[in-house]
Amino acid sequence: MSFHHLDHYAQVESPITRRSPTVRLLVTVVLAVGAALLPLGAWPQIATLGAIVLGLAALARVRPADFLRRLAVPLAFVGVVSVGLLVLAPGQTVLALGPVAVTDAGLLRFGSAIGRAAVALGAAVLLVSTTRFTELLEALRSLRLPATVTAALGLAYRFLYLLTDEVERLRRAARSRNAAAGSAPRRWLLVGIAATALQRSFDRSERVHHAMLGRGFTGRLPSLRPAPSAGHPRLEVAAALLLVVVILASARL
Amino acid sequence: MAHIPDGFLGPAVIAGTTALSAAALAVAARRSRARLRDRQAPLLGAATAFVFAAQMFNFPLGAGTSAHLLGGVLVAVVAGPWAAMLALFSVLIVQALLFQDGGIAALGANTLNLAVLGAGGGYLLYRGQLALTGAGARRRMSAAAVAAFLSAVLTGVAVGIQLGLSGMVPLRTAILVVGGAHLPVGLAEAALTATIFGAVLRSRPDLVHEPVSASAGRRWAAGITTAAAAVALGAAAWGSALPDALESARARLGLQEAVAWTTAPMPDYAAPVGGPWLAALVGVALVFGLGWLVFRLGARGGRVA
Repeated sequence: MSFHHLDHYAQVESPITRRSPTVRLLVTVVLAVGAALLPLGAWPQIATLGAIVLGLAALARVRPADFLRRLAVPLAFVGVVSVGLLVLAPGQTVLALGPVAVTDAGLLRFGSAIGRAAVALGAAVLLVSTTRFTELLEALRSLRLPATVTAALGLAYRFLYLLTDEVERLRRAARSRNAAAGSAPRRWLLVGIAATALQRSFDRSERVHHAMLGRGFTGRLPSLRPAPSAGHPRLEVAAALLLVVVILASARL
Repeated sequence: MAHIPDGFLGPAVIAGTTALSAAALAVAARRSRARLRDRQAPLLGAATAFVFAAQMFNFPLGAGTSAHLLGGVLVAVVAGPWAAMLALFSVLIVQALLFQDGGIAALGANTLNLAVLGAGGGYLLYRGQLALTGAGARRRMSAAAVAAFLSAVLTGVAVGIQLGLSGMVPLRTAILVVGGAHLPVGLAEAALTATIFGAVLRSRPDLVHEPVSASAGRRWAAGITTAAAAVALGAAAWGSALPDALESARARLGLQEAVAWTTAPMPDYAAPVGGPWLAALVGVALVFGLGWLVFRLGARGGRVA
């Protein structure tokens, strides 16, 4: 069972990982929101934010190949989605392709969407490459996200691997009894597997609930005291915020 | 694109959707805590893990296409609407932060579309139908199917409205394209939701969230709300086809000013060549063709849950 596969990349020690997870999360959010708020066609500002993300990635000693590989798939998805913008925004025709036309307004939106998305995705990739799931949970908890949600996330992280294994067992069982030859029976089989997975995950939640009650659970999940971290959290987040605000202001002028 | 990436939404839309989602989630957290008490954490954990796994699991539809479950309505009818909203929000957080699926700044919009409107709104539609028809097993299944379809379309229309208000694409075109693209999604979602829900109802009816039996007044309220939602959806679809119906509504609400500064001059809402319908159709075809290709190639790696 690959229990740590989500944390697979976040193992390199660096100046970034010595900061508290809350700081890492907040700076990521500031950078991503900053990129998303840029107006159309703010190329210098997009480049500046992109350079900041790359600089931080270098500081975090993320291997360029890993960074690019993790960035490629979501960015390709954004690219596919943005193709519609090329032809759907009305404006001056730049390139006529049969019945449709690529417009200047379309190109502007296409480029801006991809540029802003690339910066935001880069910031998110940087976060995943430096932060383990438990640290992320700690950060969300310290940001006062409802305890309900953080508790659910913590348990879901455990359940997910169990559920994946459960589904794999169901499929192996189906294969070993030669179930579902042909596409219609196969569809029914998959529906059955999904329904069984749903039942078993809720059954498991019942069992876990009883076990938790048996250990004196009162509705709050305790967590270990977070490890002390280097730096000045408030100062670092404030600096990032100020920088992004300046960049945004320069784009609006 | 049920999960909006960063870079597509304007500041006003980001702020508005974030505020709406935060308010809805606060209500959901309080109501769910009151109902589930200490059962809440494990139940939500299970629901979150299930939605997560279900979204990685592809069902073949034939002709080389496949779909995955969105799961909002299914979890809402099994575990209750408040738990479903929180579970979907948890899934969206993880997808945005860990898998770069859906933007970080767009988290509010995605939560509004998939958790609040998709799961919460879908459940309201389900309850509304049960109030009108009664709650036998078959009726529940068909109510879940209709709710799943409408909730997927509602999600698509909401995404379209948000893109339109952000000034990326003219509002009418955005609603047509994105809402239209969610029609087949809704059909797949309806079939999957109904069959999986049916299987759970048959084998383990005790797991299914029992709606609290409502008073006659509340039943009527639910029925009327459902009818209103259906009418609103129909009107949105119809209005988006009519010239300027929504634009004038937008101007009347004063939204024109709110978004004008993010919108490049767009004096005429006519598409460059061939009219908005043709452009919309070609846009849909392009996006789907490319998306199909990319995911077909990606699927060959055999990453199935």
